[in-house]
Amino acid sequence: MRRCGLLTIVAALFVAAPAAAQVDFTGEWGPLYHEDRPERMPGPELGDYMGLPISDAARRAADSWDADRVSVVTQYQCRPHSSDYGMRGLGNLRVWRDINPANQQLTAFHTYMPAWGSERTIWMDGRPHPPAGIEHTFQGFSTGTWEGNTLVISTSHLKTNYYRRNGVPSSDKRTFVEYWTRHGDILTVVTVVDDPVYLTEPLVRSQNWFLDPGQVTLPMSCEYVPEVPGPVADAVPNHLPDTNPYLTEVADWYGLPLAATRGGAETMYPEFRLKMGPPHAKPPAHCERYCVCSEQDGCSVNPPRPRR
Amino acid sequence: MKSAFVAMMISALPLLGFAQGPPGRGGPPQPPRSPREGAPVDLTGYWVSVVTEDWRWRMVTPLKGDFAGVPINPMGRQVGETWDPAKDESAAQQCKAYGAGGIMRLPGRVHITWQDDKTLKLELDSGTQTRLFHFGSEAPANTQPSWQGYSVANWERPPRGEEQQNAIPVFATRTGLRGRSLEVMTTKLRAGYLRRNGVPYSDKTEVAEYFDYRKHPNGDEWFTVTTVVKDPVYLYNPYVTSSDFKKEPDGSKFRPTPCEAR
Repeated sequence: MRRCGLLTIVAALFVAAPAAAQVDFTGEWGPLYHEDRPERMPGPELGDYMGLPISDAARRAADSWDADRVSVVTQYQCRPHSSDYGMRGLGNLRVWRDINPANQQLTAFHTYMPAWGSERTIWMDGRPHPPAGIEHTFQGFSTGTWEGNTLVISTSHLKTNYYRRNGVPSSDKRTFVEYWTRHGDILTVVTVVDDPVYLTEPLVRSQNWFLDPGQVTLPMSCEYVPEVPGPVADAVPNHLPDTNPYLTEVADWYGLPLAATRGGAETMYPEFRLKMGPPHAKPPAHCERYCVCSEQDGCSVNPPRPRR
Repeated sequence: MKSAFVAMMISALPLLGFAQGPPGRGGPPQPPRSPREGAPVDLTGYWVSVVTEDWRWRMVTPLKGDFAGVPINPMGRQVGETWDPAKDESAAQQCKAYGAGGIMRLPGRVHITWQDDKTLKLELDSGTQTRLFHFGSEAPANTQPSWQGYSVANWERPPRGEEQQNAIPVFATRTGLRGRSLEVMTTKLRAGYLRRNGVPYSDKTEVAEYFDYRKHPNGDEWFTVTTVVKDPVYLYNPYVTSSDFKKEPDGSKFRPTPCEAR
C-alpha cells in the first residue's frame, strides 16, 4: 500500500508536467474608461468613424444607420455586444477559471460582462477551433495560449455586429486576437480584429481594467418592447445613400475636418494631420458636449461650467 | 524506504524542469548580464503611433474645456479653463503637452535605441523630444525637473520571480513564467499637459509605464505602452491609457518637428 502511494506521487509529478506560463486573471475587474469615454458610455455620435480602418462598404452601411432601428426592429433590441466589441464597450468584467481536478491543469477561462449578460469561454486545453460551417455566435469560439506572461486568445465563429455602436458594421467573416497582460492590479487587453469585408487593415485597440475585489456585477435582462406607437410592420429605419442629414454634426460640434470623421485606414496615422484639411465649420470657442465625462462627475451633454 | 522516496523525488526533478537554477549554476561565476544583454524583447527600431482611440483628443487640439475621459478634479478643471496657447508661446512653454505625462499619446514616430548597456533612448519626432530610460539607477539627488523627468527602468519580473522558487515544488510550479514587459517609473517632471488643450498635470506627478511587445499573426510587430499618470494635485484617480505602436522598416517617415502650443 505504501509503495503504491509512492508510485502515485511520482506519477503525479510526471503527469503534472509544468505548464507554460500561467498568470491569474481571475477576479472582478472594473473598467477604466479613460479613452473614448463619451463613445463608450453615453454612446458615439452619429457619423463618427474616426480612427477606424473601415472599407467603403462599411462606411456606406454606417451612413444608412438610423438609431430608431433599435426601437422598431425587434432583432436589434436585445442584440448583445459581440466579444470583440464587448471588450471595448461597457465592460465590468468577471474572470474565473476551470481547473481539471485530475491534473490541476488550466482548462478554460470564463468571462462575464453585465451588458446583455454576456458570458464567454476561452479554452486553454489545446482543442482546435471548429470547422468553418459551425454555428456563429455573438461571443464566438475562443482558444488561448501563453506568450511569456501574456495570454493570447484567438476567436472565430462570430456573428455580425459592430465596431462602433453608431452603425459601423463588423462582418461574420472577422476573427480577432487578444493579448491580455497584467501589471499589478491593471489589466490591459489589446484586441486585433481582421475583417475582410469591412476593414482594410487590422483594427488594433487596447483597453484597461483595474482589479476591484468589491465589485458586484449585476444581472441584466432585456425585453422586446414596442417603443414606437403605430404599425411599423416590415419597416427598417434607414437613410438611403447620400440622404443622411446628420453625418456632419460630429465635425461641427467638435471643430473637426469632415474627412477625419469619415474614417479609413489613413486617418490612423500621424501624417493624416497634414492632409485632413480645415474644420468643416468654424469651431466652437469652448467645448459644448460631454466636456466633463468621468467616473466622478458623470457624463452629460452640457455640464455646468466651473465657477471662475 | 524514506531515503528511496527522497531519491526518486530528486531524480524526477530535472525531468520536470524544477532544477533549473539561475544561469551559470554549477559553473564558474558569471558576471550579471547587462539590461541590454538580458532584454527579453527587442524594442529598438522605428515605431509609429496608430491612433484608433481618443482620436479627437490626440490628432487635433481639442476644444478648450474638453476634459472628457480624464479623471480630473475641480482644481484641474479650473486650471484647464485658463488655457491660453498664446500665453504659452510668449512664455516659451510650447512643450507643455510634450512631457512624459502626455507625449506617448501624441501622434508621431518613436526611434528606440540603446544609448549604452544600461540606458534605453526614445527619440520622439513630435516635439523633437528625447526620453532616457535608466536601468537600475535612481534619480540623482540634484536632478532638476524637466519635461521628460527622470525615468528608471526595469525588465518587469513576476512578483515572486520567474523560476521555481517554492519551498515544496511538488505542490506548485512556477516554471515558464517569464517577464517580457519593460517597466518605467518617471519622476522629477515639470508641470505639463495631459492633452494639448491644457488639461494639466502638476510637478508632483509620477508616471508608471509598461511597454509590451508582440508580433501579430500577420507578422507585424507592435508594442503597447500602458501609461498610469498619478497626480495628487489635479486628478481624482490615476489616469490610465494604453497607446499602440507599429514597427516600421526604417526611419524614412521620422520627421522631427518643434513643439506647438495650439
